[in-house]
Amino acid sequence: MSDYDAIVVGSGAGGGVAAAVLAQAGKSVLLLERGRALSFEQVGRDHLRNQRLAIYGHNAGPDIEGNPRTLDPASFPMPVGERQGEQRILRPHEPGYQNNAACVGSGTRVYAGQAWRFMPQDFRMASEYGVPAGSSLADWPISYADLLPYYERVEWEIGVCGDHRSMTHLPAYARPYPMPALPLPHKSNVHRRGLDALGWQGLRVPRLINSLPYNGRPACINCQHCVGYACPVDAKNGSHNTTIPRALQSGNCSLRTEVMVERLMCSAGGAVAGVQLITADGLRESISADVVVLSCGAVETARLLLNSATAQEPGGIGNGSDQVGRHLQGHYYPGAVGLFPEQLYDGVGPGCSLATCEFNHGNAGLIGGGMLTDEDIVTPITFWKRDYPPDVPRWGLAAKQFMRNNFRRINDIKGPVQEIPNPDARVQVNPAVRDRYGIPVAHLSGTSHPETVRTASFMRERAIEWLRASGAIKVWGRQPQQYLSGGQHQAGTCRMDEDPAHSVVDNFCRVHSQSNLFVADASPHVTNGGFNPVETIMALAWRTTEHIVANW
Amino acid sequence: MSALFDESQLRCLAALLDTLIPPDDFPGAWQAGVGDYLLRQLQGDLANLQTSYRDFLRCLDAEARCLHKRDFADLSADARSDLLHRIEKQQVTASWTIEPGEFFAQVIEHCGEGFYSDPGNGGNREGIAWQMVGFEVRG
Ligand SMILES: Cc1cc2nc3c(=O)[nH]c(=O)nc-3n(C[C@H](O)[C@H](O)[C@H](O)COP(=O)(O)OP(=O)(O)OC[C@H]3O[C@@H](n4cnc5c(N)ncnc54)[C@H](O)[C@@H]3O)c2cc1C
Repeated sequence: MSDYDAIVVGSGAGGGVAAAVLAQAGKSVLLLERGRALSFEQVGRDHLRNQRLAIYGHNAGPDIEGNPRTLDPASFPMPVGERQGEQRILRPHEPGYQNNAACVGSGTRVYAGQAWRFMPQDFRMASEYGVPAGSSLADWPISYADLLPYYERVEWEIGVCGDHRSMTHLPAYARPYPMPALPLPHKSNVHRRGLDALGWQGLRVPRLINSLPYNGRPACINCQHCVGYACPVDAKNGSHNTTIPRALQSGNCSLRTEVMVERLMCSAGGAVAGVQLITADGLRESISADVVVLSCGAVETARLLLNSATAQEPGGIGNGSDQVGRHLQGHYYPGAVGLFPEQLYDGVGPGCSLATCEFNHGNAGLIGGGMLTDEDIVTPITFWKRDYPPDVPRWGLAAKQFMRNNFRRINDIKGPVQEIPNPDARVQVNPAVRDRYGIPVAHLSGTSHPETVRTASFMRERAIEWLRASGAIKVWGRQPQQYLSGGQHQAGTCRMDEDPAHSVVDNFCRVHSQSNLFVADASPHVTNGGFNPVETIMALAWRTTEHIVANW
Repeated sequence: MSALFDESQLRCLAALLDTLIPPDDFPGAWQAGVGDYLLRQLQGDLANLQTSYRDFLRCLDAEARCLHKRDFADLSADARSDLLHRIEKQQVTASWTIEPGEFFAQVIEHCGEGFYSDPGNGGNREGIAWQMVGFEVRG
């Protein structure tokens, strides 16, 4: 008999849903997380070490030391990290590492909680646009209609606020959001003028935030530290305060933190027997289960599969077609910053409130497109580091006075671009470099597809247009370059399809070569939409684990 | 005050930081605590830059003496700015043991970090920089 019915590896967006669905269905579940459970105080408000501005580290993991990755220098335009021969060794806060987070809840502990459904067209990109040379653009094996019931569950059970009537880019909602949209800050009213002048449709950004008391927790207090930080009143809905507590309350789930799963254990005959993990004290344990669900995030799920090679599958579990780790993608996030004659800042957080989906599809000569929104409140140091205009002096009285006179008159417009997958943008493992547990680290190589850069340049122009139409008197922002994308929106490394020759998992996210191994995170995403991905990750994990339960 | 820098290096550092973010009706970098930020970082995340900082300050004083026969800290505010503008363009007269422009670019970054980040990092004393720009923390 196995130790558990199911083991879920990783407690982020997908892992939380998987643990809750399995445990609430009466299965005994072990949820394993390499990071710690972090209190509000532990996440803190360090403006130099957070998941938004990580100059000297992160506030939601992983730790700076002991968690390296390696990078092909050709994947990144700037020299980064420590050089070792032809590769660079990166620590988590160094550019190019592609970090999301490592703690209970992972990114959902500190995210902005933008809660987007992908559009129906996003699931059939190849059919809509054809496949550009050098890309692995493909349709998802499932449609918007297949995910719709699970989108609704995420919206109601995790808790999303928004205005369903404003979501005119999608088929009409059968169920509204359970909570109204957050109040609009002043700047969004200013940006509304721009949309009206341009004739672009505006919509309210749906967010995984309580605008009213919901699920036994209070409403948002409109603080100034949302994205990149933890919520002071617990009004932001992530895995740490929704799915994981529910899994634990069922009495069927145990959560172990600070344990690193090293490899999968395989039994003969195409089934996994469980996992082998290493504790913080360096002890190895083998734990068996009837079902294993991988929810480590797109980079680490691929790494774990590749590190689990067996005699039957010498290239890594599920890697018979050399697909594990390929098609790594995230979101280019082009945009621009605008300086306005009037004050925009009123301190009403979180801030990101108004969006347009005019350009997600139907852009002549482009493949897909993206969404644009205004931004969450930016801290002064983040503005100074990231958004400062290149033609203003960076020191001296003029610099100080620029900050003083303009911090409250500035806002940026930006958004995620639907990336065109490149099969050579990939995760491999590097046995020459080990993490603190002695496990071979992820090696990252390749870059985005040129079509992604083209779309990003186009979207940047639209952001500039929106800012100017809203009254900006000066606009600036970097031109997108080609580099390896992934980061907080990483996806695509265990592609989903019924044909094992081109994919890693089947239509229900089961690894083709194993009868009882599933993936419930962003890895199965064939494409990643022109939207922040978390609602789709949660919805897909819900569908996958419900299927596991139904076919137990 | 510090085991990292002697008295004259500290004077030079204060003058340098106050040239980057000078006092007006709001405090300059030094009074706002950027020095405290930096001293803390030089024993933490930036410990690998201790020697470079000492080199830079020594060369900065040497440069000031070359041009004006005085320590950097004893120059007028305008003369300090002019000198730093030259350093930015790599126009130096003294013999420098550290790449002047490149390191100066890092000092600018560190100074901004100390001034504009949260007071928990040692600078931005009592949130003075946030008061100046109008970043109010209410929740
Ligand atoms: C600051 C920030 C803002 C964001 N804002 C938004 C937003 O507004 N909207 C949106 O849609 N998305 C947002 N995201 C992204 C979102 O958080 C991610 O898309 C999402 O968390 C990914 O889910 P996942 O299940 O794929 O992986 P993750 O949530 O990353 O979960 C993976 C977990 O597995 C653990 N793990 C990995 N390997 C192992 C191992 N071998 N053993 C044990 N544990 C392991 C990791 O520590 C991690 O906790 C944001 C992220 C951040 C950091």
